[in-house]
Amino acid sequence: MNPALKESRSRREFRNEVYLEYGAADFHDVCCSLVKDHRALLRLMFGTDERLRDGSFRIYAVFSIPGQDRFLIPVLQLGDKESSFPSITSEVPAAQWYEREISDMFGLSPEGHPDTRRLVFHEAFPAGSHPLRKDWSITDEEKAVWGEGRKINVPHPFMEVAGEGIVQIPVGPVHAGVIEPGHFRFSAIGETIFFLEPRLFYTHKGTEKHFESFGFSDGVRLAERVSGTDSFSHGVAYCMAVERMMGIEITEKAAAVRTLGMELERLYNHIGDIGFLCAGTALAVGYAKGAVIREELQCLNERLTGSRYLRGVNAVGGVTTDMLEHADDLLRTLDSVTVEYKSMMKLLLSSVSHVERLENTGKLSRDIAARLGVTGVAARASGLADDVRKSHPHLLYDRMIFEAHTLEKGDVLARMLIRGEEAECSISMVHELLESSYRGGLTVAVKRPEAYASALGYVESPRGSLFYWVMSDKEGKPFRVKLRTPSYCNWPAVPFAVHGNIVPDFPLCNKSFNLSYSGCDR
Amino acid sequence: MLKEILKNLITRKRTITFPTGFPIEPGQTVKLVDIQGKLDTIFKRSLRIRMVDAGSCNACEWECQALMNPFYDLQRLGIDFVASPRHADVLLVSGPVSRQMELALKKTYFATPEPRRVVACGDCAVNGGIYRGSYAVTDGVANVIPVDAIIPGCPPTPSAIMLGIAQLMNKDVK
Repeated sequence: MNPALKESRSRREFRNEVYLEYGAADFHDVCCSLVKDHRALLRLMFGTDERLRDGSFRIYAVFSIPGQDRFLIPVLQLGDKESSFPSITSEVPAAQWYEREISDMFGLSPEGHPDTRRLVFHEAFPAGSHPLRKDWSITDEEKAVWGEGRKINVPHPFMEVAGEGIVQIPVGPVHAGVIEPGHFRFSAIGETIFFLEPRLFYTHKGTEKHFESFGFSDGVRLAERVSGTDSFSHGVAYCMAVERMMGIEITEKAAAVRTLGMELERLYNHIGDIGFLCAGTALAVGYAKGAVIREELQCLNERLTGSRYLRGVNAVGGVTTDMLEHADDLLRTLDSVTVEYKSMMKLLLSSVSHVERLENTGKLSRDIAARLGVTGVAARASGLADDVRKSHPHLLYDRMIFEAHTLEKGDVLARMLIRGEEAECSISMVHELLESSYRGGLTVAVKRPEAYASALGYVESPRGSLFYWVMSDKEGKPFRVKLRTPSYCNWPAVPFAVHGNIVPDFPLCNKSFNLSYSGCDR
Repeated sequence: MLKEILKNLITRKRTITFPTGFPIEPGQTVKLVDIQGKLDTIFKRSLRIRMVDAGSCNACEWECQALMNPFYDLQRLGIDFVASPRHADVLLVSGPVSRQMELALKKTYFATPEPRRVVACGDCAVNGGIYRGSYAVTDGVANVIPVDAIIPGCPPTPSAIMLGIAQLMNKDVK
């Protein structure tokens, strides 16, 4: 069914992607009406510098309407001289970071955005410098100043919370644990967190720009290194986008191997996360148990693929190893893992001190989760049944039996339970996958993409929905690679979840979301 | 919980038997006994490591995290990860050092008391790895602070990290 939308200047359909080009005012209205009237989800939003092609910048906003396997993509075309576009953040809060990033990367400012500070770059990055513009360059001197980090080129103040009894607690970017860097500014009243402002993007590595220096086939290696524990998901999503753009179909066997890898990745992540939560409540036994199961699964990964993070399996056009050949090893390990996992869950859920810490901690309401476009485990724990495996079936997910589990409460315990349910689902899906045999070889031949062809790739990674959008240039090289990780959607929700909790519970809340800094910062 | 502990005491159940070494590549093994001997003499049975992520993809951190699980159990050798650089003998740095982490890494380095050692952990930390040449990275830890030992691998396996720490000790013997 087509939602009644304004007439677009031009309309292009490609597989399940519908591109609709609009002028500035219409673009704003269409995006807002999609969310308000059709309950559409904003999946990602990004800019491109297509001045080499037809002298214009474009802004794409990818929406999907629940119940339809289709992406509606309003496109805003901006002329060479234009430097702003109408912001949709006031009506669609999920767009807040995307718009600020477009402003950082392209110098196109969102007009009417409530927060005009930079997002990705900190103070010392030169003003008026926008890396994703095709004619951009940076001098070594500017780089040195940026790295020094002391000069303030563009002020980036923290939001002030003033009042009697409010103390500011700065934490990071180097943290006490063996974790990634990020700065947190707590405004606390006694022990209670009144406001939290995270400053991220310390690990910004210019990945999207860096993709342009690789070929499409080589880019898989970079995609796998965007976020360590989501390596396989990134590989699949990137390959899927490139394959769709080139117009090639992978074999049934390759799809089966990818589905298997996805579920194995989900399994070691979810079980590891459940165990890791125990580090936040000082339950050493649970932590050790979780770590042991995770280690067993990662050793299994190494035996199957030679990499503990399932790297090197995906390639554009298929897969390099047939993991299904090791069915015996897989089943044996999974059987022992299932037994250990069940005993761990029993132990955790019967430990009153543990469950008591998790219950009612870090509550994220359904309303805020929906507005901010939260995805993955965090969304499902807050009652939003969003799972790309269900809503946009890909690989072999259309023939698998599984549920998108949801809980209503949205606290740390709910997120842990969702992980548990999904881990069990993954185990049964691996069994299901190993029951049948699949046609075809491992890879198919790669084609040269057409000039300025583009396509989306998407998977449900252990953290949530993950999107890639790729576009090729005239020579068939990457022109623009946009990637949107689940962590990028979920970080803005963390301050809402920790509001009203005590500072010592922050690590617990943070672990329950299990967000990747590197995936968010890229 | 109590039941679990009692059961383990009575049955003397061991989840994993500790091996004396871990393989890295065929024909190459990290011998824990060697490491132990050196640790006892050089570091008086206590080596404290501060892990600094300078823009890695998080895989290196998880491998270091894995070193503390019951399989590898690094703590039994007297090696442990500490929460502050002021408590550390060794800085273990991962990632290609993104520009926005450069200052934080330098500050951490100067906060570590001398004699301090720096180990670059993972391909990115060694020379920028796959991110080499990107505008937002410095192509390796050595471009920011002096490095004493390197651990290649993307990510290095937990046993490779152990080997890297052993390397560092060998260097100090000479």
